[in-house]
Amino acid sequence: MLSDRSPFSLRAAAVGGLLFLHLPILLIFLYAFTTEERSFQFPPPGLTTQWFGVAWNDRPDIWPPLWLSLKVATIATAIALVLGTLVAAAMTRTAFFGREQISLLILLPIALPGVITGMALRSAFGVMDIPFSVWTIVLGHATFCIVIVYNNAVARLRRLSGGIMEASADLGANAFQTFRHVLLPNMGSALLAGGMLAFALSFDEVIVTIFTAGSGAEAKTLPIWMLDELIRPRQRPVTNVVAIVVFAATFLPILAAYYLTRGGSETAGMGK
Amino acid sequence: MTAAVEFQNVSRHFGTVRAVDGVDLTIAEGSFFAMLGPSGSGKTTCLRLISGFEKPTGGTIRIFGEDVSSTPPHLRNVNTVFQDYALFPHLNVRDNVAYGLMVKGMGRAARYAKAEEMLALVHLDAYGDRKPAQLSGGQRQRVALARALVNEPRVLLLDEPLGALDLKLREAMQDELKALQKRLGLTFVFVTHDQHEALSMADSLAVFNEGRIAQIGTPQDIYDRPATRFVADFVGSSNVLPPDLTRAMGGPPEWASLRPEATRLAPTGPVRGTVTALRYLGSGTRVVISMGETDVAALVPAGQPVPDEGETTAIAFDQAALHLMGPA
Repeated sequence: MLSDRSPFSLRAAAVGGLLFLHLPILLIFLYAFTTEERSFQFPPPGLTTQWFGVAWNDRPDIWPPLWLSLKVATIATAIALVLGTLVAAAMTRTAFFGREQISLLILLPIALPGVITGMALRSAFGVMDIPFSVWTIVLGHATFCIVIVYNNAVARLRRLSGGIMEASADLGANAFQTFRHVLLPNMGSALLAGGMLAFALSFDEVIVTIFTAGSGAEAKTLPIWMLDELIRPRQRPVTNVVAIVVFAATFLPILAAYYLTRGGSETAGMGK
Repeated sequence: MTAAVEFQNVSRHFGTVRAVDGVDLTIAEGSFFAMLGPSGSGKTTCLRLISGFEKPTGGTIRIFGEDVSSTPPHLRNVNTVFQDYALFPHLNVRDNVAYGLMVKGMGRAARYAKAEEMLALVHLDAYGDRKPAQLSGGQRQRVALARALVNEPRVLLLDEPLGALDLKLREAMQDELKALQKRLGLTFVFVTHDQHEALSMADSLAVFNEGRIAQIGTPQDIYDRPATRFVADFVGSSNVLPPDLTRAMGGPPEWASLRPEATRLAPTGPVRGTVTALRYLGSGTRVVISMGETDVAALVPAGQPVPDEGETTAIAFDQAALHLMGPA
């Protein structure tokens, strides 16, 4: 018989593990307020909010990487939403020879280490003489964004009872009307969740970006800019201020995605 | 008069599986037609051939004279009440019912008025704002019915619509469906594996077995004069007598069926047996008599003496009650 309370040692280990994972994140927040700008020392010698002002007013070099990251994440997510949904529809609608194998291939980009994806894309761009640009970064990010959208869409489609698609056709709706009035409303939250997750992943992606971005200013996404900044001993806390922004830009969508898919059982699969 | 639905030598094969195999049938306009059979006998596939979700691999399907063999489901003027209802979970009851009118482009006010009318017809006037998840099984069944009927189909297809309901509700819905069909004068095609349901509701019915129609006729035809042993076995509580027993009872050496209610117990007769089981049914007692290899049931009306288990008895009946069947 299991007792209701776990032993103290187990609870202590769990708390320790969580602290180990999350204390560094708190430290990043803390260092955004430190008065020491050359190195991170603990405890901080003093606290100030001046770095927020500095980041906003005196550092024009922050903005191009930020816009680039937003642009790449937005386009990659848009591509992923269209292609990921289509693939999910194809994989759930019919059984065909080799479906399981193709399903594995679709999941591969997210299972493979980023360096492999990056190297493969880089050599492919080389072979095809495609010059590095924003679009090569977008392509790189789309490879794993599609998987995220696909996973969300496929899970929802499997839970939807296929009967409602037939019912729609039976009542006189053509394929487009069925998509618009039945499929899309029942998949909306799953697609939104998948899209937000894909956006968040693209926004802070480093490895694939390095391989697909070439060099030069147009190649510097926000995470790469931050890496560069940490090497330079100049206004370091500004980097932490940006880190807080990145945290907000990625964590909030993920949180929203979690809540959106959690309530999904109410809209899907209730045909019976 | 044109038939509502007509199958000419229709087949639907899935690879080597012959789900429907060379079926001919004619469903008269305005009739309540039941397709009866065990699961896997092809009755649901036949229904899906009418609705258009299955395409025949051979033969011709006509709806009101028009060949629809290659018409997609959304262009056929038939509607289906699905076995699991298949209500749209994201729409409320009113929008569910109005769906067919919406996709045809009817304005909001007009289609809601029609939807409310249909909801009143199935006694769900007050439920328009609810979501399907907030309804009971019986209520969902009614919504599915209203959603199909609002389109004024010329043929309504019902795929085991009462299968998920409990017995009392099912019987109430049987009466209601039958009354509705009479009042609207629509053609209903009703799939079921419940022989009592089929016999009590249908004007005519087809008994399916292994993708083919074993017999087609009125409930009385099928109950009184089953064409094959399969029909006699599946449809009724009829006794199926092997050829030697038929001969011993004074008939020709052929398979025959004999309804328990057409028999009475007799002290002597050509074949005697031992009473092995008694079942009190209220209106009478069903007495099972073991005659060699075969158990024969007889119905003793209420008020008449009932033998004890283990007693030896014989049965008597009019020779006319003995119905001879083909070899199959």
